[in-house]
Amino acid sequence: MSAPNDYLHCPLCGFEFIKQQSACERGCPLGKYCRLVCCPNCHYEFPPELRVVSWWRRLFAPAACPKPPRDLFSLSELNEGDHAELVRLTSEKVSRRNTLAVYGLVPGSRLVLQQKRPSFVIRVGETELALEADIAGELVVKRIAAEGAANLTS
Amino acid sequence: MSASPTTQHPPAEQTLILVGNPNVGKSVLFSKLTGKFVIISNYPGTTVEITTGHSTFSGKTCAVIDSPGVNELAARTEDARVTCDVLRDHPEATLVQVADAKNLRRALLLTMQLAELKRPMVLVLNMMDELDKVGGHIDVRKLSELLGIPVVPTIAIARTGIHLLEKSLDQAAVPASLTASLKTQQTSPTVTTNLPCQEEDYQQNIERLSYINEILAQVYTRVRPRKPTFAQQLGWWATQPLRGTLLLALILYFTFWFVGLLGAGTFVNFFENAVFGRHINPIAIRVVDAALPFPHQHRHEASEYKLDIPLAPGRGIELFSSTQQVLSPAYTIEPGAAHGWWNAVIRFIHDFLVGEYGMITMALSYGFAIVLPIVTTFFLLFSVLEDSGYLSRLAVMVNRIFRAMGLNGKAVLPMVLGLGCDTMATMTTRILETRKERVITTLLLALAVPCSAQLGVLMAMTARVSWGAALFWVALMVAIAFVVGWLAAKLHGGASSDFILELPPMRRPELGNVVVKTLARLEWYLKEVIPLFVLGTAILFFFDKLNLLEKITCFGEPIVTGWLGLPRETANAFLIGFLRRDYGAVYLLDAATGPNATLSPHQILVSMVTITLFMPCIATLFMIARELGKRTAAAITVFVFVFAFFVGGLVHHLGRWIGL
Repeated sequence: MSAPNDYLHCPLCGFEFIKQQSACERGCPLGKYCRLVCCPNCHYEFPPELRVVSWWRRLFAPAACPKPPRDLFSLSELNEGDHAELVRLTSEKVSRRNTLAVYGLVPGSRLVLQQKRPSFVIRVGETELALEADIAGELVVKRIAAEGAANLTS
Repeated sequence: MSASPTTQHPPAEQTLILVGNPNVGKSVLFSKLTGKFVIISNYPGTTVEITTGHSTFSGKTCAVIDSPGVNELAARTEDARVTCDVLRDHPEATLVQVADAKNLRRALLLTMQLAELKRPMVLVLNMMDELDKVGGHIDVRKLSELLGIPVVPTIAIARTGIHLLEKSLDQAAVPASLTASLKTQQTSPTVTTNLPCQEEDYQQNIERLSYINEILAQVYTRVRPRKPTFAQQLGWWATQPLRGTLLLALILYFTFWFVGLLGAGTFVNFFENAVFGRHINPIAIRVVDAALPFPHQHRHEASEYKLDIPLAPGRGIELFSSTQQVLSPAYTIEPGAAHGWWNAVIRFIHDFLVGEYGMITMALSYGFAIVLPIVTTFFLLFSVLEDSGYLSRLAVMVNRIFRAMGLNGKAVLPMVLGLGCDTMATMTTRILETRKERVITTLLLALAVPCSAQLGVLMAMTARVSWGAALFWVALMVAIAFVVGWLAAKLHGGASSDFILELPPMRRPELGNVVVKTLARLEWYLKEVIPLFVLGTAILFFFDKLNLLEKITCFGEPIVTGWLGLPRETANAFLIGFLRRDYGAVYLLDAATGPNATLSPHQILVSMVTITLFMPCIATLFMIARELGKRTAAAITVFVFVFAFFVGGLVHHLGRWIGL
């Protein structure tokens, strides 16, 4: 069982609190036999998890920190059919960056991700280009609306 | 077909060099300008040779040089190196840049690099019809104004705009405004030849592209949204996991039917039995007998001939069949005939021409009747696939598989071509970017990729063994390719190249182009192969006459009979196999399926495995030495020899042990 001053984690809103902070209504008919706790943030009632479980979770579960919203993705995170604008190339190899450049793929150019498997195929202007997954992972892009990409240039 | 730029011709008053990105129709334009047929290729990097032609424009004789397609003017690939050399060798030439009108952005990148050479140039916007189809529009006059050079829209295939181009050649100008626009000045006005790509090169390209965007904003408009054509749709399907695999399977089966069944079955049958067996050989024997008479009697043997349209292995629609007695090269000497030296000389010449190892009865009939039909069908199909733009998509499909062998998808071209001719395939390994990839591909070609002549024979041999054994043979070859490729990739230092491949648009192959290309390849093949067949037969003939065959057979006997468990006569086949491995396979085929077959199915399997892995034909060996150097060639040779015998013996002993 969880000790009174153990940290509790609301499964609904993710708020963290200790048992004493539980926002139980005064005069609840269930009284001390109630096993539920109430989140002071969203007033969601839930049974606190077992201490062993919470230990386990703290030891092994991935950090539950919410991902900050972002507008930059690696190309491999995009979905097929997405339109994107290349922001930068993270490749160390200048020859690789230059090869992409002569196909018209430089920061600022717009591309369409046509497919991801078995290899990545993107379209830059009228050029269809096949890339390997690890090269696609090095392209940092931002999503754009499909209409914008219909024009050839930025 | 192609000539070096130094070919002797009346001195031209002007030289034109066609430059452009790959697949923009340079070669078509070239043939329209000069009236000469050339190989037009859809796979980036297949035309490494340059073509020169002559023409007359407005009263001036003109030399026209077609250069390999390049994306930038830096000698980083084989193609680009050739183009840079051409540009350097002709400093006075007028440049005609050919551009794909759909892909103006990339073309202008090259234009800006060419502008730095400060030479008079003309920009040709080719494939204007395709631009119209995708709904684009280019303000040609404005573009010409901005670049400061004549810009000519053309549709080369339909001859549209060629006349305009010829007229505008006089107005070719140095695009001075382009170079002035760049902030950073090019360090040297000549073509860059430094191999490693520098950070400045990259920065310059970025700067150029941003300037190009400004130009494009003024001249390029898109009037209607794209609507994919069927060819485009097919091109997308070809690289998707499911549809692509289905399409690949369909194409593989068609290849098998066209080359394996139609070429190696019906056509070979026709040429071997009907043309050579019934007509050419008997006529040659009679002519030689009449010219060089000595007392002997040729035997007759039954020749069966069946013409059919194949459907599946062993099944087909029979159109025609007949059995006939024909004259065979084997003969008996009449008893009591004179044994003078004159007779001996005549007999020697007779045997050299039409004997069992005769030039006509063996070399030419194998060369023309067995090899030619198979190779022709293969090259025809290969040209169709190449022109359709499918081969690049095939590279996308197989990239992951090839990665396991330390290669990338680009290596699929030499590998598939290897199924036609290993020698030619070894030459095309040049398109691979690193030496490591070239070495591995060459090794795998030499080891595990059977050429078309060999495949035909091997397929005939599989008919004599069970399905299981045939499957085992295929699986073993694939497994060996993977294991050896993987090991070689681990052991060989150096990095693999990036897999960044442009997919050319899918197009319907043009019949004329396919035929010209197939003929060019066949011409090359015949020139290389027939002399080797003749040489191989001649060596065999002299070995036979000097009774050396017997001695070498004795020498090779312990390995062949002891380790491989094959009859001692097959040692001959391996010896011949050194001269040409398909030749050795033909020899084995006779022992396996001929009238007096001596091999058991188990022995057939062992010989199939050994002969497939065996030393590639001597021409391949020369080609490896030329491409990779003598030391690497020697290492590959020794490895292939030892490995072939090792695996062959392993199959034999394991088969024995399991009790097959």
